[in-house]
Amino acid sequence: MDVNLSELLAALPEDDPASATNAEWVQERLREILADLTERPVPAGSLHRLWTLSELSGQIALAYLALWVRGWFAGAEVSQRRLMETNLRVALKIFHRLSYLRGAMTKLGQAAGNLPRLLPDQVTATLDRLHFDAPPMHYPLIREVVRNEFGKGPEELFLSFEKEAFAAASLGQVHRARLNSGETVAVKIQYPGIARTIDADFRNLTALLLPLRLGKDWDSVKAQFEEIRRMLNQEVDYLQEAESQRLAGELFRSEDGIMVPRVYPEYSGKRVLTTEYVQGLHLTDYLATNPTQASRNAFGTKIYRAWLRMYYAFMTYGDPHPGNYLFLSDGRLGLIDFGCVQHYGPEERELVRLAEKMAYEDRSVIPEVVRHACGVTAHDPDLGHYVRIMEESLDWMMEPVSQPGPFDFGNETHFQRGLDWFQGVVRSRHTRSHPMYVYWNRSIFGFKAMLYRLRAQIDVHQLLREERPGGWTG
Amino acid sequence: MRITAEAKSATRKRILEAATSLFVSEGWQNTTTRGIAQAAGIATGTLFNYFPTKEAIAASLLADALEQAGEEFRSGRNPENSLEADIFALIWCGLRRLRDFRKFLAPAADTIFSPLARPSPDSPGDAIRVDHLELVQSVITSHGLPASLPAVTVQLYWTLYLGVFAWWAADDSPGQEDTLALLDQSLKLFVASLGIDQGREKNGRQSE
Repeated sequence: MDVNLSELLAALPEDDPASATNAEWVQERLREILADLTERPVPAGSLHRLWTLSELSGQIALAYLALWVRGWFAGAEVSQRRLMETNLRVALKIFHRLSYLRGAMTKLGQAAGNLPRLLPDQVTATLDRLHFDAPPMHYPLIREVVRNEFGKGPEELFLSFEKEAFAAASLGQVHRARLNSGETVAVKIQYPGIARTIDADFRNLTALLLPLRLGKDWDSVKAQFEEIRRMLNQEVDYLQEAESQRLAGELFRSEDGIMVPRVYPEYSGKRVLTTEYVQGLHLTDYLATNPTQASRNAFGTKIYRAWLRMYYAFMTYGDPHPGNYLFLSDGRLGLIDFGCVQHYGPEERELVRLAEKMAYEDRSVIPEVVRHACGVTAHDPDLGHYVRIMEESLDWMMEPVSQPGPFDFGNETHFQRGLDWFQGVVRSRHTRSHPMYVYWNRSIFGFKAMLYRLRAQIDVHQLLREERPGGWTG
Repeated sequence: MRITAEAKSATRKRILEAATSLFVSEGWQNTTTRGIAQAAGIATGTLFNYFPTKEAIAASLLADALEQAGEEFRSGRNPENSLEADIFALIWCGLRRLRDFRKFLAPAADTIFSPLARPSPDSPGDAIRVDHLELVQSVITSHGLPASLPAVTVQLYWTLYLGVFAWWAADDSPGQEDTLALLDQSLKLFVASLGIDQGREKNGRQSE
């Protein structure tokens, strides 16, 4: 596979509304890229594998990114657009070159892999592997990263330490080890030097995007970029992840059947995170065991419950892709990655309260939600569009609630409606939103995609009664 | 009066210690051979019996540290390591031993290892280059590759090594983590240039 940037850009759809829809075109392009991947033998050399995987996920993400950005200047004059595209090409080249963004893009690639309705099944399976394969580090490098953090190498710090990683993390890898006290732990180690480049690179990227003159959307785009920057910084700081994991762990009790591995702070630092080792299956392996409908429903309910519990505690599990869930043989669900958790402050909490009111009590507050969530005032000519987008989103979100009895999340129509809605929003350039929704959207699509692939049937009413602070009386 | 080998060795050691201390406290540019001789308690002329130049003193410090690093690498070598991991471990052993001298090694290395200088047996850095390349060659050979690499490949390695060394000398990142990444990526490039399959190589490695 050798798709370069210019090919991707050249192949992007024109903005002519009479032409085929952008989304269809991009889906077709993605299928081609992915079909090509599935036909290739798995490369044996680690460098080759590293290169191919990061390139692939980068390209997929890039296709989405280009589509998104292109939407911003769809209505511009031809000459102006040419200038913008030149800037965009430079910006994308830089975006593409940045190693840590490769990591971030791997995540976007993961998101694409977790949208099964969009892609053929075998491709979804191939993309699943991206969750677990990442740039490899050999042991001498691992040893130095650990030594930098603790002043001791793994062999001195732990009773034993497995030199081969058992899992990949987006920006590092995970090794099994045993503490002197006997516990088996998972030690996540980050590739060196990634974290410190984020701020400078985002400054450059923002400076490059500035000439695009995104007009009224610019402030919103800037705020969304800022949120991505902030979250990336948080994600590379394992001390923050340890804190999120600790807070999340406090939310669940043993009767929930949801477990969050314990963090060992004395063996954790900014670049090394040590947690309890949990044995379990990832989604694909779990599905391969042909689980019963009851088992799938139970796990689906736990995934939904975990999401709700954290949301109502004002923490969004921002990265609910299959690599972050473990299906334990005793029926418990393991949540294993808390790098991408949004913690809501007063402003976001107010938005949550308002959105709850809109969803469960009073739809007439929609314009007020739009004003707060999208920054669209009563006199804005786009108000009508944004209100309609919000109504459609609400309809889709509330579909499982508005029907009696358990809801079948394996229902393709439901899942597809959500995707169509999201693509419609991107295509129509109505992307102004509060920065918290960058990750909220990813979170919603991520966890609904999990439920879809599980084909779980869930009694949402019961869950809401148990989890929603105000209960549910519908 | 004859000077015993022991006394010679002790004087040499004293010069190196005095030089190290001055390089660290005064910097490379501000340290003179006269100052080193004074600090070592010997006449400047005597110092020249041991080291003809300031560069030769720094080169000797480097050579000593790298020799010890070579020994450390050999004794702690893991037979499971890939070629890339082995060379990484070898180079990092050296850089870790030199960590305290980093600040003065940057300008010193500039003259000792000028990439534009022709290799010459007279240059103080040449012995270091030859010794290091021999060691790297032996590591490569132990992984089943030819006993003699093409000159271009050797030059590629040396250029990458000097680049990493220069970067490391001025690297202010915590724990020199940027150098870790640069070294890792440089060695990926170098090993890829050898055209071997790391996965296959790892299993088929010759026993030592």
